[in-house]
Amino acid sequence: MSTPGLSGGGEGPGTLTVASRLSGYLRGGGILIPVLTALIAFAVGGLVVLATGSNPIDTYKAVFDGSGLNWFFPWISSDDRSLAALNLQQTLLLTTPLILVGLAVAFAFRAGLFNIGGQGQYIVGSIGAVWIGSSFDGMPALAHIVLAIVAACVFGGVWAGIAGFLKATTGANEVISTIMLNYTALWAGVYLFGLGGPLQSSDPAQRSIPVSNDVLESARLPVFWGDPELQGLHIGLFVALVVTVLFWVLLNRSVTGYEVRAVGFNPDAAEYGGIHAGRSYVKVMVICGAFAGLAGALDVLGWQFRVATNDIQVSQVGFFGIAVALLGRNTAGGTVIAALLFGALISGTSVRNLDPSVFEPQLATNLTYIIQGLVVLFVSAPVLVTSVWGLRRRLGFGRARGAQAG
Amino acid sequence: MSAGSDVAGTTAAGTGGDGGSRLRARLARVPRAAWLGWAGVALGLLAFYVVLPPLLIRSMAPSFVLAAGGLGLGVAALRAGEKRVGWGAVVACIAGAAGAYGAVSSGVGNLERVVVWSALLAAALRYATPLTFAALGGVTSERAGVVNIGLEGMMLTGAFFGAWGADVTSSWVGGIVIGLAAGGVMGLVHAIFAVTLRADQIVSGTAINFLALGITGYLYVKIYGDQGTPDDLPEIPDVQLPIGWIPFLGDALEQLNLMVWLGLLCVAALSIFLFRTPQGLRMRSVGENPLAADTAGISPIRVRYRAVIVSGALAAMGGVFLSIGFVHSFSQNMTLGKGFIGLAAVIFGKWKPGGALAAAVLFGFASALAQRLPVFSPTTATLFQALPYVLTLIAVAGLVGRSRAPAADGVPYERW
Amino acid sequence: MNVLYGLHQPDEGEVLLRGESVRIGSPREAIGLRIGMVHQHFMLIGVMTVAENVVLVSEPRKGALLDRDAAERRVRELSERFGLVVDPRAHVEDIGVGQQQRVEILRVLHRGADVLILDEPTAVLTAQETAELFKVLRALTAEGVSIVFISHKLREVLEIADRVTVLRRGKKVGTVDAEGATEASLAKLMVGRDVLFRLEKDTSKVAGPILEVGALDVDDDRGLPAVRGLSLQVRAGEIVGLAGVDGNGQSELVEAITGLRVPRAGHVRVGGRDITGTGVRGALRAGVGHIAEDRHRRGLILDFSLAENLALREYRRAPLSRLGLLSPKRMTQQAHPLLERYDVRGGRPETPAGSLSGGNQQKCVIARELAEEPQVTVAAQPTRGLDVGAIEFVHRRLLEQRDAGRAVLLVSLELEEIRALADRVLVIYDGRIVAELSPAATDEEMGVAMLGGGRAPA
Repeated sequence: MSTPGLSGGGEGPGTLTVASRLSGYLRGGGILIPVLTALIAFAVGGLVVLATGSNPIDTYKAVFDGSGLNWFFPWISSDDRSLAALNLQQTLLLTTPLILVGLAVAFAFRAGLFNIGGQGQYIVGSIGAVWIGSSFDGMPALAHIVLAIVAACVFGGVWAGIAGFLKATTGANEVISTIMLNYTALWAGVYLFGLGGPLQSSDPAQRSIPVSNDVLESARLPVFWGDPELQGLHIGLFVALVVTVLFWVLLNRSVTGYEVRAVGFNPDAAEYGGIHAGRSYVKVMVICGAFAGLAGALDVLGWQFRVATNDIQVSQVGFFGIAVALLGRNTAGGTVIAALLFGALISGTSVRNLDPSVFEPQLATNLTYIIQGLVVLFVSAPVLVTSVWGLRRRLGFGRARGAQAG
Repeated sequence: MSAGSDVAGTTAAGTGGDGGSRLRARLARVPRAAWLGWAGVALGLLAFYVVLPPLLIRSMAPSFVLAAGGLGLGVAALRAGEKRVGWGAVVACIAGAAGAYGAVSSGVGNLERVVVWSALLAAALRYATPLTFAALGGVTSERAGVVNIGLEGMMLTGAFFGAWGADVTSSWVGGIVIGLAAGGVMGLVHAIFAVTLRADQIVSGTAINFLALGITGYLYVKIYGDQGTPDDLPEIPDVQLPIGWIPFLGDALEQLNLMVWLGLLCVAALSIFLFRTPQGLRMRSVGENPLAADTAGISPIRVRYRAVIVSGALAAMGGVFLSIGFVHSFSQNMTLGKGFIGLAAVIFGKWKPGGALAAAVLFGFASALAQRLPVFSPTTATLFQALPYVLTLIAVAGLVGRSRAPAADGVPYERW
Repeated sequence: MNVLYGLHQPDEGEVLLRGESVRIGSPREAIGLRIGMVHQHFMLIGVMTVAENVVLVSEPRKGALLDRDAAERRVRELSERFGLVVDPRAHVEDIGVGQQQRVEILRVLHRGADVLILDEPTAVLTAQETAELFKVLRALTAEGVSIVFISHKLREVLEIADRVTVLRRGKKVGTVDAEGATEASLAKLMVGRDVLFRLEKDTSKVAGPILEVGALDVDDDRGLPAVRGLSLQVRAGEIVGLAGVDGNGQSELVEAITGLRVPRAGHVRVGGRDITGTGVRGALRAGVGHIAEDRHRRGLILDFSLAENLALREYRRAPLSRLGLLSPKRMTQQAHPLLERYDVRGGRPETPAGSLSGGNQQKCVIARELAEEPQVTVAAQPTRGLDVGAIEFVHRRLLEQRDAGRAVLLVSLELEEIRALADRVLVIYDGRIVAELSPAATDEEMGVAMLGGGRAPA
């Protein structure tokens, strides 16, 4: 027999959902807050660099050059330009999946859900893509690519859908279930492509290498900039950008988006409007899974062309997606820009691109993780960033809270 | 007016005052159908056990009979309304039969090599120890009402600073101390954000994981560069017990690392603290209903700070064991998700230290088997690695009893 | 009371305790001053036992450990002494509400309180439990404990109190000895006569029933019956006021009518159509408008813009959406005239609803509901928290609906409001309609009916 008044926490202005908690961050200040957040994160990162004996300015400049973003600037010499071009291709290659995984997290946040499962959904998507991509020899290119992509999206959608379904039916916390699904996907991948696994390469030369079959030529995405032999930039970038637009349309111009956002902000009022929270959760997770799965597909079909168990285990793309979404305030445009920033950071600090005489690439990779951590940390408590510059009142935070209380 | 005469809804608590009668009371409350279900589970496990050493029955028949019987009991339990145990029995029997089939099809030699129960138990305990510490950290934090997703990062922090500390102080004790302190600092960061700044606890926990990855990696590369941690890193010693003569347990427990025993000790200590001391009572009340605790005069803020800092230290201990007690070195991201398995153990163990330990040992067992299974088939070994996560998924979905966190878990506290 | 217990700080004035002026900064200090409070919503930990809850923070110890046996003994001791029968070993979540309250009182007594504040203690008790509570309270006062008994159940107040102080809107209206007072005299003090702008009301032209509720049984969130066999009718062209003290089933009734809650038995018909159990969409289609009692929880999505909020009922249909795609432009277009007609100030269609004042937020809700000209409007506490101007506005709009030949069910805790608007007044108590009165009925009649007395409905 349940009893009144035993709920924890007492009475307040009502449960604040994830979306509404983050909405203050979303609404206030436009682009100012994310820029500020990033700057402060970089500044703290710079302090770390300084504290361990290197020059932060030089370091960041080297990272910048390594990312190829200097290609956009006219004051660069033509030799450096071709190097910068290569670097920029790398950056954009990395940006592509980051955009999509970022969208996978952002969409969930807007709907009041925490999708930490981007990594698992990405893995599952890449499994689907490599499986279809390495089968069906002789298929026409367009059909093959489309089929592989669809498979990846379906796999990813189903994978995420499990978490959504569990939340809708049993109330299982999606944070825990998506994290668990991440690792399940990881080990499933290692199993599938491991030695003797069902999807391990059937090439006798690769008998002892835990890797999948290669993606067939017909399924590979065309490269539009750079040399395909040297990992040129494939059209996946455009796919990602198109999907970004789709994300925006879905969220802001569709009935589903309206419902999903309503549930995200206030499930009670949404119920009042006749919207079913549980169904919304499943829909949202499936869509998010499709986004992340697509990211996996684009990587596999665009430049990886095979999946090795080692790749699966070191990949961090899904986790970067969380930082990307949060920094980008869970919006379409913000996600793209944040994805570019992190893509630049990751490629600029990679062994390939970073000048080791200025800063050790291994150190730089970890610096990236630190910056990522700082960004997410500051986002978790926006009050910290805004109060630093006394922006609270100016941006209407105080007003909003006051109105909510009465 | 005498007490007890008109009290309705009392539990069958009996009149004894000791733990034994409480246990009896709890057992008395289990409905008959549930006993059927548990018997079914037992039969399923037995079906698998008989084909393994030392019994090594080389035919499927007995296993089949046992599993079928257990299945029947499970179905009976289901029909009597005991869903959880009933399904548990069904699953156990199917799994047991499948396992029996696998074992019978394998060579006796292989079986005897892998299924050395005492060695398995010892290995399970060893694998379980980092998980145990992480889980204890999780229990501490969540019992006070703060979700700690950052266990993974705190563990990694402990792993690095434990190794570095041991190196710098040339003693494993120094390593432990420094590792603990580092974990506590990470806990403090989480506490500041989660409790004072009322940040979203999941997000700040995730941030801690990234930060830990970056900071430990950065410092590792900076300090140890190419060569890695020194080969002569001080190690946490094993504890030699002169109990080799005891048939099974003796072999298993004869030589275990100090940290394994420390872990068990901590489980007992935390259990006592939570459920038998006043401070533990207060901490739990903060986790269940901070407003009620506040009105009783407890400071939820202070309690939560303490809990989260301790949780960081505990998780770090797990990492310290990993680096200077188990692997004897540090490598980047060496925890590889063990912190999350620890979190899984918390949920699986229903937020009790003892339950978390049981879950951790279960997961450790899976890891130990996974280590040895490559003898049979490397591929199934990998699948075993996924077992802890799948089990937790099932637990979270409420299929293994009510998985109920402390009521105010994850909700930042502000007084209206 | 929260001030006395240290949960709030006063802006002005002083508190004298045992002759000395005190400042109580926290519950801990209040407890130190031997003030104890039993809140309306219990401050108990469900998963812990009675004994654990009682001794929390003043736990008896055995060395470093909690002395459970001593705790249980203490509970039994206090139980004996004050007649608060409860099993110390039981888990609080397993015992009944009446017993939980006893645990709360025991907790307070264990800390040595001699000033006891009880906030609406009988709100959740049965008659039997109330009688037992009173026995306890008398035993306490016999031992010298001072008790502040907060309640709006006048009969009980008269039964248990020595002196009665009446508060209204934060001000003290008067203190009388319980000796000479009657329910009627107290009711008059309580209900009073507030000066509210009285609107001109035409005589109603009533036609056939639009809303018909028959033998409705609705359970609350706890699974207990909140509405018992309730029947009522609202006819075209009339406003029916539902008066009653909060917590007598009004919320559940409203939710059942508007489709937010499925009744266990009985039916709800609108315009002849049975909408029982058809959910919100069913009610919507039948023409039920719902002005929710909590505009922040159910009425509005504060993070949505005004236009988006205004579309909350209609967003699925053309012209706001076609083929699954929404048109924000059309939402804005539709919003403009609504905002103007309903005088919503403080924002444009793009403004987030959260930045509007309470009054304007409510106007927005009303705009959404009434603009569709629903056959029956269920208005629950429509003027809660609003200033006089906004209140007048809301009343005017409701009268408009009535004059246009539609039905309005007004559920309100403010008797003045009901008097001003209703053509008929129904009084709800304990989930049933216990009286049907005219709005011209006296305060005493209304008050008495609301508090459990009164004649059965016609």
